[in-house]
Amino acid sequence: MAAETRTAGAADVLRADGLAKRYGDRDAVADLTLAVGTGRAFGLLGPNGAGKTTSVRLLTGLLPASAGRVELFGETLGPGNASRLRARVGVQTDTELYATLSARENLRIWGDLFDVDRRRLPGRIDEVLEMLGLASRADSLVGEFSKGMRQKLAVARAVLHEPELLFLDEPTADLDPEAAADLVDYLRSLIRAGGTTVVLCTHQLHGLEALCDDLGILVDGRLVATGPVDDLLAARWPTPGFRLEVGGDPAAAARTIAAAGGAPVLESDGALTVALPTEDRVPALVAALVAAGVPVHAVVPLRPTITDYYFATVDDAAARREEARA
Amino acid sequence: MSTRRRVLALARKDWHELARNPQAIAPLIVVPLLLVVLLPAGVILFGANPALTSTVTGLQSFLDHLPEGMLPAGLDPSQTIVYAVVVYFLAPLFLVIPVMVASVTAASSFVGEKERRTVEGLLYTPLTDRELVFGKVLAAMLPAVGIAWASFLVYAVLVNVLGGPLLGGIFFPTWTWAIIVVLLVPLVAFLATALIVMVSGRATTMQGAQGIAVLVVLPVVAIVVGQATGLLLFDVGIALAAAAVLALLDLAVFGFVVRSVSRERIVTRL
Repeated sequence: MAAETRTAGAADVLRADGLAKRYGDRDAVADLTLAVGTGRAFGLLGPNGAGKTTSVRLLTGLLPASAGRVELFGETLGPGNASRLRARVGVQTDTELYATLSARENLRIWGDLFDVDRRRLPGRIDEVLEMLGLASRADSLVGEFSKGMRQKLAVARAVLHEPELLFLDEPTADLDPEAAADLVDYLRSLIRAGGTTVVLCTHQLHGLEALCDDLGILVDGRLVATGPVDDLLAARWPTPGFRLEVGGDPAAAARTIAAAGGAPVLESDGALTVALPTEDRVPALVAALVAAGVPVHAVVPLRPTITDYYFATVDDAAARREEARA
Repeated sequence: MSTRRRVLALARKDWHELARNPQAIAPLIVVPLLLVVLLPAGVILFGANPALTSTVTGLQSFLDHLPEGMLPAGLDPSQTIVYAVVVYFLAPLFLVIPVMVASVTAASSFVGEKERRTVEGLLYTPLTDRELVFGKVLAAMLPAVGIAWASFLVYAVLVNVLGGPLLGGIFFPTWTWAIIVVLLVPLVAFLATALIVMVSGRATTMQGAQGIAVLVVLPVVAIVVGQATGLLLFDVGIALAAAAVLALLDLAVFGFVVRSVSRERIVTRL
């Protein structure tokens, strides 16, 4: 059974218990158990084909589960309430928009489908188009848009009705770095100021990791790690690491560090990395190096990122799979 | 309230897309208009020519078996042919037109969205299965009925202008015709559209949907259309009764189509 993400102090907007989807003898998703609290951002990460899209379809009731259950806003999701509950959810996936309609027409249809107040709808459409940098192309046909513009419009469509829960599937996939940064800023404001709960599915971590409060890593349809980001990183790397850029002979510096109780690793660029039980040990270590005649140019704390954690976890999963095969 | 808004939003979306596709619209308008112009004009202008009755399959047999009292008294042979063909023989045409139009528009309802990869987005909205099917049926059915009614208007004007002098004034439409056009055309269009929408939800390509629609839908509709001439030979009461039966059939088929919707099939069998 997968460990469950707990977000203390926040009511769960989304819960999944033992959720599974099986096609023939293949598990697309197996035993997915997670909980996402109000106003939290949950990063559901995994390589291509890991089961992220199937998970979104299960969590929104688009696909019936082979086993397990989903709870949205405290209600068990089923055919009887799916329509009502979906009105409170926004979903952006890699599906296309209507190419022969303008951006504004696409959004107007979505506003009607989500029953956005008729008097507010035109203003709200202008607002989201403005926020996502599409205001000048509001009346252009979507078929004339670049991939990146379509991607932004897909996000605009998902947030138009101000959903309480927002699923984003690779939201920055087709964006240039500047547009991706703008979108991340927008999403951050949505989460922090608007209190929107977000489930972010991606394998492109750059820029998105700053958004995530909680993390789940899917490999081969199974959640191999899940929990608050800080807890996961602290559990994996309990001692802080430092990069020391030193002059002179790095081997001599390494011997000095070892004598001071550290376990240095010589990097290919001549720098040394070392893990220390606490940050308090850094001044003593630097003093020992200086006393030994090793010039210390810089000490840079190494803070593990979600990207580091993701690759380490995926590599572990691959190693376990190889072991099992052997 | 929101159900109506969602259904209309879905239908309007499909109409906007159709309206911006001239290649799809042109045959839907031109073919019916040609049918309702060429056929009656040919009959009225060349009705006296025996070659006509021998050329049009089934026309001679139809004229031979026309029951007594179905024609106004005192018509000469050429007037009889014109009246019988215009008022009775061409009636099924107006049930075929909406089916023909709907078979084009409804066939693309789901599978067209699948091919354009837009359907999944739609399934994440609050649309229920019933709203989804009704919106798609409405989107395909209303243009079909509109084109059928427009064709009927053209037909009515044309046959009266061309045939009026021959038959001594305005002779069309009759009350039974009015019931056929006002009630049976929408009901037949609904039946055909609902069945084709169901086929479209299960097909994986547009060509597949159109092929299966021909196999599954047209025989069913052909039975209904085949009865049209017979209905005209009876009276208004029988035509109303037929409309009531068709309305019940529509409700049953609609319920069946809604129950047959499988969102999983729609998103996973692309």
